[in-house]
Amino acid sequence: MRSALLLACACLCAVSSASAHVGSPNVFFEGRAGVHPLRVVIRPPQTFPGLAQADIRVSDGDVTAVAVQPAFLDAGAEAAPPPSAATRVAGDPQLWNATFWLLRRGSYGVEIRLESARGGGRVAVPLQAAALARPVMPPALGVTLVALGIVLCAFAVGLVAAAARDSGRGRRAGALMALVCGAAVYGGNYRWQQMDRDFANALSKPLPVTSVVRGDAAQNVLQLSPAHDAPASAAWDTLVTDHGKLMHLFLVREPDFDAFAHLHPVRRDPASFEGMLPPLPGGTYQLYAEVTHEDGSSETLVSRVNLPPPVGAALQAAATPGSSVLCLSPTTAAANGAAPTALDYDDSWHTGLSVPGARAPLMGGGHMELRTTDALVADRDTTLRFAAFGADGAPLALEPYMGMEGHLALRRSDGAVFTHLHPAGSISMAAAEMLAKRDGTVSPMPLARGPAPGEVAFPYAFPQPGQYRMWVQVRSGGRVLTGVFDVDVRARS
Amino acid sequence: MMRARMPTEAVLLVAAIAVPLTLFWDFSWESTIGVDAFFGPPHAANYAAVALAAAAALRIVALATQSGVGGVALGRVRAPLGAWIVLWGGLAFVTALLFDRWWQASYGLAAGIWHPPQIAKALAYFAVVAGAWLTLLAHQDTPSRARRAALAGGALLAMISVVTTAQSFANRQHSELFYLLACASYPLVLTAQSAAGRMRAPATLAALGYLAFVGSMVWLLPRFAATPQAGPVYNALDHLLPPPFPLLLVVPALALDGLLHGIPSRAGSTGGWASALECGCAFFALFAVTQWLFSAFLLSPVADDWFFAGGGRHWPFFLRIDPTARTAYWGFMSPDLGLVSGAVAVLVAIVAARAGLWLGALREVRA
Repeated sequence: MRSALLLACACLCAVSSASAHVGSPNVFFEGRAGVHPLRVVIRPPQTFPGLAQADIRVSDGDVTAVAVQPAFLDAGAEAAPPPSAATRVAGDPQLWNATFWLLRRGSYGVEIRLESARGGGRVAVPLQAAALARPVMPPALGVTLVALGIVLCAFAVGLVAAAARDSGRGRRAGALMALVCGAAVYGGNYRWQQMDRDFANALSKPLPVTSVVRGDAAQNVLQLSPAHDAPASAAWDTLVTDHGKLMHLFLVREPDFDAFAHLHPVRRDPASFEGMLPPLPGGTYQLYAEVTHEDGSSETLVSRVNLPPPVGAALQAAATPGSSVLCLSPTTAAANGAAPTALDYDDSWHTGLSVPGARAPLMGGGHMELRTTDALVADRDTTLRFAAFGADGAPLALEPYMGMEGHLALRRSDGAVFTHLHPAGSISMAAAEMLAKRDGTVSPMPLARGPAPGEVAFPYAFPQPGQYRMWVQVRSGGRVLTGVFDVDVRARS
Repeated sequence: MMRARMPTEAVLLVAAIAVPLTLFWDFSWESTIGVDAFFGPPHAANYAAVALAAAAALRIVALATQSGVGGVALGRVRAPLGAWIVLWGGLAFVTALLFDRWWQASYGLAAGIWHPPQIAKALAYFAVVAGAWLTLLAHQDTPSRARRAALAGGALLAMISVVTTAQSFANRQHSELFYLLACASYPLVLTAQSAAGRMRAPATLAALGYLAFVGSMVWLLPRFAATPQAGPVYNALDHLLPPPFPLLLVVPALALDGLLHGIPSRAGSTGGWASALECGCAFFALFAVTQWLFSAFLLSPVADDWFFAGGGRHWPFFLRIDPTARTAYWGFMSPDLGLVSGAVAVLVAIVAARAGLWLGALREVRA
């Protein structure tokens, strides 16, 4: 009777939920807890109650204990269960592992606590836990259950018929029992289908939005609004800024993904965002928009949009993907403008076909290198390292781009995975700062400087094997530069 | 053969009692700790209880087949109907467990609580406990065997209270749903017990057994230290949560015994709607008055002690409950019992009593 009684008492609402990343549920964080640099990977369960896994890599040798404590955001830190002690992983003294239970899906703040002679440290990592996929029963189990079901029905029918045989009503009683068994199987199947539909409706999935392009002789404006069938959680009146923006919008042109834009529309009202479009080549674009709510939950909004060619022959020519690479961004500050009359200072876009290999050309004659030499394997923790060079071959001096040394957007070729990373990992910085403020922990800022001049690194583990395209963005000389890489991620053997 | 079967019947009785008790333990574990593995202590004990019942039933089948008389024959194998039902329940339990393990790993509890494998497991538990009860009811040739049969009836009453726990908190004992569920289930067992029992007050002993079984969990479980291991923790706990105090079924059971067993001229009068009418009305009237008043006592500070575990103080850690709701009656999920719902509850009790009388009169039960 597992959990029947337990949850018969609880009111668990089946609400639809959305994740900040498409097809990439694990959380990656690189930063500090107190004085100790650490790197955290949290793998949330797919069913609830379920067991989550946390790998914590701490390079400082004086750390003597690590503990993990998940707090349901809606309930606060005072309702958190006791912390789970992490244990060192055999053979790797820097790596600690902890498991902890999550009772229900939703937004959590997972506090990592370190103990050391230098006072230890605490840091809260935001985690969104949600089911992602509809389950499928293994055929062997299905066959076994059907066989057992047939035996059970035959047993019941035979028993009832035998018990009523002496009264001369054995056949009739047996037939009645067969009807009861049939009704039970039909009713059970009906309930299963019904529950499966409800489960599927509540899966975490990107929220659809409606996107419309309004254009005139001077400019094109993109307008976003919740789709008509979007759940109530899609309301945009509770958003908080992440990297100083309410929305991070990514556009990638189909079918070759030869044009990419990272834009920041402004909210016009609780049901719409608007943003001026840069001179991107015309065509159909996949649209991904990331927002974070006041409760710490983040969402990815998705849509497809047809963009007209930019106005003016010069812009059209400039926007046409060819052998040259265009990495563009405004160079005058117009951040968070009240009206979509100008591009945001942090908007950036890129056109140009990708070049095979680990070296991507940058506008102006420079280039970017993928410096991760390890083979990329699905579900294996890795650090994606990139280095940017100027036309003279010298490492570029990188400037903060929305508070970060770099941003990385990656997409699996079939669209099953889309995520936005930065050197602090995959977490929403807005959610992390909110947690830090509430719990009195230190805001999980990334490490102060990159591994080497011109270098930027992102912690990640590809969730699935396949072909991925990565857009790596850094700022140098006031201009945002985008390097494009294609990588092949192998399945874990 | 009968003498050889006695120790096995004792084992069957112990297993039947253990099934609801291990489920109450599981309820307490999950309400307090919140983390339970497939082979966690309450689960393991529960599986053992079902396995023990199935093993005892197999032994009874073997003995009955050896003797070659009585019971229900399936081919060349012969056994009391109850033993067959226990075996069916055991097989259903294995099936449900396989299904449930996959379900929990795939859907968790996000798809809902009363999911198909959960319902199948409940059916299996009822088959095991009811099968044991029927087996023991069919063999009451000595006073001790008659007492065993009554105690098995107590186990079945406890099993009913397990699946209706969520509707049976003292806070819900003014709601019409509570009375409808109670009238649809308990009179069936109590009237069958009273009608088929070969002792002075079989239904009363069954109700007392139920009180002792569930009461023992109320008194015993809080002796063990435990804390929640999953969050959110809305109610801090440092010991295993006691289940709700058992219902005072002994009051209507006394009346049923009086109606069906205590009056010599009515003894054996186990058929007919007239008896069912009397039993159903008596059950409803006494049960409703008793629980209506007793629940008020349980919600009062006077009941806030180790014996009654009342006073609105014991809640699962995950339940977010307003302080004022802890000692109040909850009318938000089901309205209070009224005239119409009371009349419906009486009708339901009459039908359940009629079914119980029919069951108690079955040849396989009265053998």
